[in-house]
Amino acid sequence: MSGQVAALARPAVAERSVSSRLRLRDIRPWLLCLGGVLIASVYLFPVYWMVVSALKGANELNASVPTLYPHAPTLTAFRWIFERENVGRYLENSAIISTSVTVLTLVLAIGCAYALARVRSFWMDALVVAIMASQVLPPPLLVTPMFVIFRQLGLVNTQLAVILATTTKTLPFAIIMLRTTFAQIPIELEEAARVDGCPRLGAFFRVTLPLARTGTIVVGALTFLFAYGEFVYPLSLVNRRDLQPGPVGLYSFVGADYSDWGNALAFATVFVAPVIVIFMLFQRRIVSGLTAGALK
Amino acid sequence: MSATLRKPAATSWRMSRDRFLDSRAIWPLLIGAAALYLLLFVGYPVVYNVVMSAQKVTLANLRFFNRPFVGLDNYRTLLDDPLFGLVLRNTLAFVAANVALQFLFGFGLALYFQLSFPASSFLRGLVLTGWMLPPLVIGAIWKWLLASDNGALNYLLQSLGLVSGKIYWLSDPSLSLIGVTIANIWFGVPFNMILLSAGLAGIPDDIYEAASLDGAGRVRRFLHLTLPLLRPTVYALLALSTIYTMRAFDLIYTMTHGGPLDSSNIFPLWSYRLSFELFNFGGGAAISTTMLVVVMAVAFFYVRSVRAERPQ
Repeated sequence: MSGQVAALARPAVAERSVSSRLRLRDIRPWLLCLGGVLIASVYLFPVYWMVVSALKGANELNASVPTLYPHAPTLTAFRWIFERENVGRYLENSAIISTSVTVLTLVLAIGCAYALARVRSFWMDALVVAIMASQVLPPPLLVTPMFVIFRQLGLVNTQLAVILATTTKTLPFAIIMLRTTFAQIPIELEEAARVDGCPRLGAFFRVTLPLARTGTIVVGALTFLFAYGEFVYPLSLVNRRDLQPGPVGLYSFVGADYSDWGNALAFATVFVAPVIVIFMLFQRRIVSGLTAGALK
Repeated sequence: MSATLRKPAATSWRMSRDRFLDSRAIWPLLIGAAALYLLLFVGYPVVYNVVMSAQKVTLANLRFFNRPFVGLDNYRTLLDDPLFGLVLRNTLAFVAANVALQFLFGFGLALYFQLSFPASSFLRGLVLTGWMLPPLVIGAIWKWLLASDNGALNYLLQSLGLVSGKIYWLSDPSLSLIGVTIANIWFGVPFNMILLSAGLAGIPDDIYEAASLDGAGRVRRFLHLTLPLLRPTVYALLALSTIYTMRAFDLIYTMTHGGPLDSSNIFPLWSYRLSFELFNFGGGAAISTTMLVVVMAVAFFYVRSVRAERPQ
């Protein structure tokens, strides 16, 4: 009897486990997706917290039980930093410095990267290694000699000094990345143009560079972002407030014992907004560019 | 008449220009500008730094070249400085904790987002946002999250019942280094994740298929296939993230300024403060010269791993 029951029950159990496994396989990707959303939310919580804190009024910001979102959102802090602290000036300086660094970097990097991508020799390889090594020199370790040299050149307290110094950080990176980009464009296309009577450099500007357009734009965007965040060089090469870019301005809000967090986070939010916009625009390409730049 | 005379001249000028632009002579010119720039603004400062580290540099003689040489005095003074031991311990602990934990978290995330599910690469990209933010903004955010009064982390820990009182993350000398480490790990994880993701994506699927046909389970495939195949990426990444830990300067400078009582002071910060707060440029140069030697050694290791990885 019991054997009969078991014999009857067994197929049913087997069937159910098959169907539940099938169902698990169906929903597995969605469970994983949910997990991914959770991970990203926990990771990005600090950024969210910056924005919502900036939108809270002083009472809500300093309440002993923090609110997860602003119950009475206000732009008071944003109005204050622009009207009273004149942070527009910092943003303007950041725009001037980062744009200049980007232009200077691209002008110097494009030709160099193209030559490094097309000529293969021992010396070229040695040069690539030297450039990779210079890519990793941290600004805090270079700033002492940089300051003394710029002091001797009479460039201290100019934005030119900041631009020249920051370019040392972005140029090696741009060369390495552009070299990979140009190397991916088949040389046959250039050779076809040269057979048609176009000189080598003309072929580069008319054929290769347009084909590598997106890669070049991404390198430009990343260069801009790196220059935009640079802190050590402007902090030490310039001590006039009216010439300082955003990071040094932000430091005046959060360094030392400044404790008006509403204003500080409002400025942080305004300052970081362009970074997030640029990153969202080029996200996919920046991801592939970063990995190629670091590993090839 | 004159037009017919000028035409051949113009053509020959164009031809010689084109011949020049087509010749090998353009390569050194193209490279020259960037190479000269790097030589002038990277190479020269590096050498100059070594020279300064052997000189007595004061505010008074800063603009001159002929400063008195003092041999290794600057280095000796630093070794005798009571701060030296503390800063060395802080630097080693900070670098080790950051490199190890960033790698572990980054690897975990890379493996998770490698699984196939909807929007996986989009979500991975969102996490990368953290690495694109300016360090000063990250410093500001974390200083606020870790604030002892009204800080979100203290509130979270208290409401979970994990701690009873306030934790002074950034003003307690025994905790400040941990405070800045938390922020810097948050900053570095996405970079580790993205490089490891690229490494994982580079391993062909059919290797895994062959292994699972041979009866290798998930764990064995990970230990015997994934890890060995990923080795060059891992080496390059560990070298890079050791070097990038120096960029934590911005974070520490913003969050604690190395304090309280130098409890979160590390070498790059000490070097900076010697030069720009105490105007002891020789001492600052001595530290950064030593650190540059370390960085170059790690960079050598990095370049070698990357070149080993390149298929050619």
